[in-house]
Amino acid sequence: MHEWSLACALVRTAEEEAARRGASKVFEVSVSVGFLTGVVPELLERAYEMARQGTGLEGAPLRIEVEPVRARCGECGRESVFEGYALACPACGRPGMEVLSGGDILLRGLDLEVGGSA
Amino acid sequence: MCETCGCGLPEEAKHAHEGHGHDHPHREEARLYRSLLEANERQALENREHLLEHRVLAVNLMSGPGSGKTSLIEALARFTAGRWRIGVIEGDLATDRDAARVRALGLPVRQVTTGSTCHLDAAMVHGALHALPLEDLDLLVVENVGNLVCPGLYDLGCHLNGVLLSVTEGDDKVAKYPVAFRHAQFFCITKTDLLPHVDFDVERPKREARLLKGDLKVFACSSRAPESLAGLAAYLEAERKALLG
Repeated sequence: MHEWSLACALVRTAEEEAARRGASKVFEVSVSVGFLTGVVPELLERAYEMARQGTGLEGAPLRIEVEPVRARCGECGRESVFEGYALACPACGRPGMEVLSGGDILLRGLDLEVGGSA
Repeated sequence: MCETCGCGLPEEAKHAHEGHGHDHPHREEARLYRSLLEANERQALENREHLLEHRVLAVNLMSGPGSGKTSLIEALARFTAGRWRIGVIEGDLATDRDAARVRALGLPVRQVTTGSTCHLDAAMVHGALHALPLEDLDLLVVENVGNLVCPGLYDLGCHLNGVLLSVTEGDDKVAKYPVAFRHAQFFCITKTDLLPHVDFDVERPKREARLLKGDLKVFACSSRAPESLAGLAAYLEAERKALLG
């Protein structure tokens, strides 16, 4: 369950970014999960709920967007979107395409309350 | 609500408040797009450079439990005895059984016991590197935790990643466990001496693996037949030469 390691990294990174911005509250945390990472969104969400305990993210739900795979064929240059791991060019049939997106797991953004200093 | 200017809701408060000495809490969306693997990737890069400085080619072996990773290391050590100086990092959830097997062959080895973590990461490998005599090694083999899913996401800082699949696991497994193949450079079908006893079409995993990674090098070998490792050994030798001259 690598989702646990990722949830810990998520909490650490989100707290670091919130602190850097002087946030007094975090309303929501959003992540983008590339399909090719094999990360299961439901497991990431459960792991996040455990990892955020005792942190400033306790009131911040997680929004997960799964990013589909976009890849370019090295032979004919065509770009295609895939819903699986097998990446063969639908135009020329060549396997082994260059992945353009869908391979990363990113902290996309934070919905924050900032300011408010007296 | 601010008694000076009357603004109260965070949405209404997105304006400057020069003149009355405070600012109001307001809501903002920070767009970050920061990789959650960036700390690991930084450490991996450091490991790779450190190994390069010591002129060591490092290989990360990934597979499900029982595919023959340790046996392949043992067989490779025997096959290249007197030519290659091999060091090993063993990753396991528990026990140092694999390290003991490799140590019995006289190879320097460091066991990393991960507890509940299902994969090695670059920081664990970094810790183990300091316990190995890198200046006396040509090849470092990192045996990842037996798991065909989780290790695939974590760059350890090795120069090559290899995936193993044994013929007893079934020829349908590549498409079922695709994540590890994406960052792999080579793929070993192992335990080929058992082919007469199992229904395993060697061409099927080869074909499916190349769909996941077009330029994957594929080998078929049996750790019980040392000569079957010749292709893999020649490949590793060529990669080492290409990397280190």
